[in-house]
Amino acid sequence: MRFYFLTFAFFLPGFSALAQEGHAEKMKAGLALFQKSIRPALIDNCLKCHGDEKVRSGLDVSTRELLLEGGDLDDAINLEEPKKSYLLTLIRHEEEDLEMPPKKDKLPDSLIADFERWIELGAPYDKPLLEKKEDEPTEMQITQGDREFWSFKTLAQVTPPKVEGNWAKGEIDQFVQRKLQQKKLTANPPAKDVDWIRRAYLSVIGLPPTPEQLKAAKSGSRADLVDELLASPHYGERWARHWLDAARFAESHGFEQDYDRKYAYHYRDFVIKALNSNMPWNDFIRLQIAGDEIAPNDPLAMMATGFLGAGVFPTQLTEKEFESARYDELDDMAGTTGTAMLGLTIGCARCHDHKFDPIPEKDYYRFVSIFTTTIRSEIDVDLNSKEYEDSLKTWQKAHDNLVAARNSYETSPSVTRAFEGWLGGDVRKSVAESEWTVLETRSAKSSQKATKLTPQDDGAILASGNAPAKETYTVSTAPHLSTVRFLRVEALTHNSMNRNGPGRASNGNFALSDLKLFAVDAKGKKRQLNLVGAKATHQQNTDSLSAASSFDKDPNGTGWAVDFGGIGKDQAAVYELEKAAKLKEGETLEVALRFSNNSQHSLGRFRLSVSGDPAPPVKVGGGRDGALSAALVALEKGTLDQKNREMLFGHFAKTDENWVKHDDAVRRSEGSKPKPKTTKVQVSSEGFKPTKHHADGRGFPHFYKETHFLSRGDPNQKKGVAQPGYLQVLMRDGKESESWKATPPAEWKRTSYRRTGLANWLTDVDHGAGHLLARVAVNRIWHHHFGRGIVATPNDFGLQGALPSHPELLDYLAVKFIKSGWDVKALHREILLSAAWGQSSANSKKKASIDPDNDFIWRFTPRRLEAEIVRDSILASAGQLDATMYGPGTLDERHRRRSIYFMIKRSKLVPMMQIFDQPEPLSSQGSRPSTTIAPQALLFMNNAQVVQWASALGASVASDDVTSSIKDLYLRTLSREPSPSELSNSRSFIEAQTASYGGAKNSKQLAFADLSQVIFSLNEFVYLP
Amino acid sequence: MNFPEYTRRHWLQRAGAGVGGLGLATLLADEGLLDGGDPLAPRKGHFGGKAKSVIWLFINGGPSQVDTWDYKPELEKMDGKELNGFDKNTGFFANAVGPLMKSPFEFTPRGQCGKMVSSLFPKLGEHVDKMAFIHSGHTESNNHSPALFMMNSGQPRMGLPCVGSWVTYSLGSESRDLPAFVVMSDPLNRGLPKGHAANWGAGFLPSVYQGTWLKPKGDPIDNLNRPKHMNDAQQLRQLALLKKLNGEHIKERPGDAELEARIKSFELAYRMQNAAPEAFDIDREPEHIKKLYGVGEKRCDHFARQCLTARRMVERGVRFVQIYSGGMENQRSWDGHNDIQGNHSQFAGETDTPIAGLLSDLEQRGLLNDTLVIWGGEFGRLPLTQKSKKPGRDHNPHCFTTWMAGGGIKGGVSYGESDEIGHHAAVDKAHVNDIHATILHQLGFNHEKLTYVYNGRRFRLTDVGGKVIKPILA
Repeated sequence: MRFYFLTFAFFLPGFSALAQEGHAEKMKAGLALFQKSIRPALIDNCLKCHGDEKVRSGLDVSTRELLLEGGDLDDAINLEEPKKSYLLTLIRHEEEDLEMPPKKDKLPDSLIADFERWIELGAPYDKPLLEKKEDEPTEMQITQGDREFWSFKTLAQVTPPKVEGNWAKGEIDQFVQRKLQQKKLTANPPAKDVDWIRRAYLSVIGLPPTPEQLKAAKSGSRADLVDELLASPHYGERWARHWLDAARFAESHGFEQDYDRKYAYHYRDFVIKALNSNMPWNDFIRLQIAGDEIAPNDPLAMMATGFLGAGVFPTQLTEKEFESARYDELDDMAGTTGTAMLGLTIGCARCHDHKFDPIPEKDYYRFVSIFTTTIRSEIDVDLNSKEYEDSLKTWQKAHDNLVAARNSYETSPSVTRAFEGWLGGDVRKSVAESEWTVLETRSAKSSQKATKLTPQDDGAILASGNAPAKETYTVSTAPHLSTVRFLRVEALTHNSMNRNGPGRASNGNFALSDLKLFAVDAKGKKRQLNLVGAKATHQQNTDSLSAASSFDKDPNGTGWAVDFGGIGKDQAAVYELEKAAKLKEGETLEVALRFSNNSQHSLGRFRLSVSGDPAPPVKVGGGRDGALSAALVALEKGTLDQKNREMLFGHFAKTDENWVKHDDAVRRSEGSKPKPKTTKVQVSSEGFKPTKHHADGRGFPHFYKETHFLSRGDPNQKKGVAQPGYLQVLMRDGKESESWKATPPAEWKRTSYRRTGLANWLTDVDHGAGHLLARVAVNRIWHHHFGRGIVATPNDFGLQGALPSHPELLDYLAVKFIKSGWDVKALHREILLSAAWGQSSANSKKKASIDPDNDFIWRFTPRRLEAEIVRDSILASAGQLDATMYGPGTLDERHRRRSIYFMIKRSKLVPMMQIFDQPEPLSSQGSRPSTTIAPQALLFMNNAQVVQWASALGASVASDDVTSSIKDLYLRTLSREPSPSELSNSRSFIEAQTASYGGAKNSKQLAFADLSQVIFSLNEFVYLP
Repeated sequence: MNFPEYTRRHWLQRAGAGVGGLGLATLLADEGLLDGGDPLAPRKGHFGGKAKSVIWLFINGGPSQVDTWDYKPELEKMDGKELNGFDKNTGFFANAVGPLMKSPFEFTPRGQCGKMVSSLFPKLGEHVDKMAFIHSGHTESNNHSPALFMMNSGQPRMGLPCVGSWVTYSLGSESRDLPAFVVMSDPLNRGLPKGHAANWGAGFLPSVYQGTWLKPKGDPIDNLNRPKHMNDAQQLRQLALLKKLNGEHIKERPGDAELEARIKSFELAYRMQNAAPEAFDIDREPEHIKKLYGVGEKRCDHFARQCLTARRMVERGVRFVQIYSGGMENQRSWDGHNDIQGNHSQFAGETDTPIAGLLSDLEQRGLLNDTLVIWGGEFGRLPLTQKSKKPGRDHNPHCFTTWMAGGGIKGGVSYGESDEIGHHAAVDKAHVNDIHATILHQLGFNHEKLTYVYNGRRFRLTDVGGKVIKPILA
C-alpha cells in the first residue's frame, strides 16, 4: 500500500508564483490561519460529505487542488474575487436549501470571516486533510444514513389526518386538504358534471364520450362510470402508452441502417393486455425482467421480456467496437430497469461512484452483470397456447368417441359374420386390381453416411440428414410379382425438403442421373435387367434432363429432373424393361439410383413399383402394395395370419356403407385436429439464437461470458469479474444479494436465472427494493392523473430528484397499493373518485399567488392532451376510429387505428406525434413536456388527415336544419350544446362558408367540414377540462 | 414521522443552481415547464457572443485531410512505402490496407496568407483569408454513425441532443415565421447520413428543439399549404371563428397563459404559411446572385440551391442551418474507399462554387460578421492506400481538418498540426468537444455552464471535456 503525503503547499503549482511575487508574508499568514481555524472547521463540518465518505456534488475539500477544482454546481473558490466565492455564499446561508453545513447551525460569523480572509490569502493548505491510497480511490461505503434518505427508507404506516368539513371524500382528500390548510389554500368547488365525465373519459380511455355515452353517464353513478371505463379495452391502449415512454420502446435498432425489429410489437401488446387484465404491478415488473424464466410456457410472459431489448443498438460494428457496444447494451438494460422501475439513475455509476446517489461503481457492475448473457432473439411462440390446449382437449374427446364407435361397429357379430362370408368369396376380384405393385422394401441404403433412408407406411422411402453433394441409393425389395415389364419411380413431396421437394436440392429439384435394375437370386447372384424406354408425368426437358437420360450412356452428366413446373408436386417416371423378366421363386429385385450430375440433387422421398401389364398408366399413386399381394397369396394358401386379416378387413369394410360412414367421420375429425398457431416474437432471454446482426460476418459474439469491473467504463481496463448483485442501499437488515438469488429447476439448462433473482429483489417489499418500486409506480399513476407527480421527477427518486409534495400521502398510497395486491385499477379508482381529482379547473389569482404551479392541488390543472389522444379524439368524434387491437403497427399516417398502433421506427418518427411532444424513444422518459408551437397550429389548419376526418364529420352532421346540425357537432366533439353566441357565430360561419363555395352541390357539407376543423382546433377540444 | 419539506424554490435550485446567466425561460425549460411560454423566444447567452447564427456545411462521409487542406510534402516523399506498426483495425476494412499514398491533387499557395490548398477547391481557395483551419481534429470512432453522432452531439452514442438543438434551446430563434433549426440533406437520391434523423435530434431536450428536415422533394415543410378545396378568404374565416370561439372559452378561464399562447400560435402559423414559401423560393433571387452560387450549373446546382436557401434562412433570423454534402456512404458521399481521386473530385466539384458563393454573398451583405460558417466531416481519412481497383482511402478517427469562418473567427490562420504524413493529430490536438466548446463560445455560452438535467443527471454538450480554441478567435 502506498501513501502520498505532501508536507508543504509551497510545492504545489500555482503557489510558487505567489511566492515569487513576493507574497511570502501573505502565504505565511494564510497557512497560520488554515492551521488555526480553517483546517479544524473543514474537518468538523465539511470533510465527511466532501472528500471522506462521500464526494457530494462533486466537491472534495481534502486537498487544495481538489478544492480549487470546485464541484458540479460551481467553482467553490474564486481567487480573483475572493468575496464572490461560492463556498462563502453557501456558508453564509445566502442560497436557500443549500445552506452549509446542512442540518447544523450556521458557522460563527468570526469563522466565516476567517474563511473569507483565508481565501484572500490564496487558500493555502499545509497538507491534505486526508491520507489516501494513491492507486485506489476510497470506495464509497453505504451507510445506514444512506438508507435513511426518504425514498430508500421503508414505507411509513401513516394514519390519514383528520380534517373538518365534508369536502374530503376519502383518505386522499384528507391528506390534500390538510396540506392546503397548512398553505392557507382551499380547494376549488367540484367540476361540472359534464366536465367531470369528459375528464374521466379522456383520462381513463383517451377518447371523448359519444353523445349516447354522455347521456348514460349523466344518469348513472360516478363509481359505476369509473368501473365501466376501467373495464374498457381502450383503457389499456391509453395507459400502455405512458409505460412505453418509460420503457424507451421502439421497433427498430436505431443507428446506421435502423433495421426494423419486426416482432417487437408484441411487447406493446403485452403492456396493453397486462393493464387491461389488471395484472398486479409486481407481476407486471417480474415478467418484464424474467418472464422467460418465471413462466416460459406463458406467451404473455415471453412477450414481456421485450422490455430489456427495446433499446438502441448499432447495426454496423467494427471489431474495435464489439465489446464496448455490448457494455453499452448492458448499460441500457440496467439503466432503463433502474430508471423506469426504481426511479434511480444507476448508469451514472458506470465510470465512477454515483456523484449524488449512494450507488458505488461496484454496485453498478454487479447489477449490470445480471444481464451478462441476456440477448435479443426472435422465437416462435404460440400466442394462444391456452386456447390451443383447450381446443385440443375438446377435440380429443370427440375424436376418441368417433374411433370407439367405429371399433365397436367393426367388432359387432353381424359385421364379423359378413367379413367371413366375404373372405369365402372371390376376394381377388373384390380387391380392385391395380396395374402397379409397390415393391416391398427389404433394405435401403445410401452410399453416403450422412443420408438415412427410412421406409414409410405407404411403401415410400424418406431420405433424411444433410444431403451430400453426390450419392447412390441401393434398394433391395421383394417384388410379389412373377412377371415384370415396367419399373416405376415415384418422386414424392415432403415438408422436410426445400419447397417440399421432391428433391433435396436448395430449389427442391433432383436429378436421377443413373438408374439400374437387377434381379438377385437366393444365392446373391445378380443379373441386370436392361431398360429401353421411359415416360414421365413431368421432365425438365426432353434431352439431358429427361426420364430417358437416366439410363443413357452418361451416368453423371444427364438424368431425370423436374424443375420448371414440377417442383412441389408428386411426379412419376415409368421405365420399360428390354425383355419381360420372369422372376423365379426367391428372387428379389435391386434398384440402384445414382444422383451425381448436380450438388445435393438426390430424391428426398420416393416409391418404387413394378407392373406386368403391357401398358400401365404413367401416373402417381394407384399402386397395390406388396403386403396386400402377400395377403392374397396367403389367403389362397390358407395361411392367413392376423396381420393379413386386418389388411383384408380394410378392403372388405370399404364395401360396407355403414362402416364407410363411421370411417368418414373419423377422417373428417382427423382433418380438423387443432394446430398451434405460432408467431415470431422478439424476446430478451438466454440460450436462444441471437437476432441476426450486420456484424455476424465479422464474428460479433453478441455477448461475452463474463462482465468485468471496468476502470472509467473502459473495456480495455478490466479489474476483475463482477458477480451478479443488487444495490446495497436497497438491501436491509443484513440481507445480501445471495438472499434473492434463484437457482433454476434441475432440468433447466437454457438460462441462468440471474434475472429471476433480480425480479425477486425488485419486488421484495420487506428487505429489497419493493417499497421503492411501489412508491415509483404510485407516483407515475398520480403523475398522469394530475399532470404532476407527488414527486415531480417521476424518473428520479434520488438525491437530485424533487422531494415529494405530499410525502405522507405517497407512503399511504404505496402501503395500500401493496396491501391490495398491487391492484392498479383499485388505485385508479381511488384517485378518480377523490374530491381532489374531481374539483374544477378554474384559475384564481389569489390562490395562484400562493401556489402558482398548483403543487398543492387547489385546482385540477388543465392540460393539453398528449399527441396520441389529440389524434384519437379527432378520429373518434369523426366516427372514423378503427378499433382493431394488437398486431403489427404502421408508419402510414392515414391509418385509422389508435395512435398506439403507429410503428415506432427510430429514424422515421411520426411527424404528427413528434409535433405534440411524443418523446424520442432513446432512453426512459418519465414526463413529457407540453409545448405550444406554430407547427401544431399548421397541422390543425392544413394537415391532409385532419381535413379528411373533418370532412367525414362534416358530412355526417350536415343537414338543412343548420341549428340542429351545429348542436349535433358540438355534442359529438365537445360533449355539450353550444351557447347562444357560439350557435349564432357558427351559424353565420356556415352561411358565409356555404355561400363562398358557390354552386357546389356539396357546399353545405364543405362548410360543415370547415366548421368541424375549427372545432378540432379549439382549446376546449384538446384540453382536459 | 419526519418528512422532508418540499418547496418549489428548492426544486428550482436543484435543477438550476449554479447555472447562472441563463434566462428564466431556459431554466423552466430545464424542468419541462415550458407550458404557456414561447419555447423559441429569442434569449441571451451567458455573455455577448459574436455569432448570431450558424451555417454548418457537413462534409458527410469523411473528407480526406491530406487531399484537401492539410498539405503534406513528406507524404509525397514516402509515397508507396509501407507504414510500419500500423494498426490495421484503424479504418473499416482491415484486409485492404495498402502502402502510404501521396495526394493525387496538386497544392498551390492561395490568398494573402499563402495557405497551401488542393486543386480540388479552385474557388474556395480564394476565401482562405476568411478561414481558420483546425488541422489537429480527432474523434472517438472509426465508424460512420457513431462518428456522426460524436460530431453532432458530442458523444459517439445515439440519443443525445445535437449542437443545433442545444443552440436553439439556449438562444431560441430570431425568426417567428421559420423553423429555428433547419437541416438539408442530399436531394439527389443518394440517401441520408448514417443514423438518419438522430443526427439532428433533440435527444432528451423537448422535441421543439429538433432540427426541421427540409424534404428534398415537394413541399419542404409539412402542412405549409392551405387545403386544396379552400381559398384564402375561406381559411381566414375559419381562423376568425376559431379566435371568437376560443375567446369565449378563455373568458371563463382567465389567467391561463398556456391557452393564450395557443390562440396566438394560430396567428403565427398563418404568418408562417405565407412567409415560409417566400423564404424557400430562391427563384426570387436576381440572376447574378444565382450565378454566384452556381445555380443552373449541372454539377453543383443542387448544392448551390441549398447554400442560397441557407443564406435566405439566416437573413430571416433562423438560428442554425446544417447542410449535408453527399448522401449515405461509399461513392454516395465523401466516403472515398474506392478511387479517392474520382470521389473527392466529384464532391468537391459539387460544392466548391456554392460554398465560395455563400461566403462572398454573406460578406457582401454584412452577414458574415455574425454568421459562423463551419466546414467539416465526421472524421478524416488515412494517408494510406485502401486497396481497390482505383486506390482509395479508409476512415481515420485520429486526424481530420475542419475550418470555420465568420462569426468572430480570425481569418487566414491555422491551428494545430497533424504529424508529417497526416496520420495522427500531433500538435495542439483538438477534440470534438473542443470544437463544440468553441462554437458555443462564439454564440455567447460557457460550454461548462450550459446544462440540462435529465433523469437525475446534469448533461452538457461537451460532456466532461472541451476547451475553447482561443487562437482562432478574432
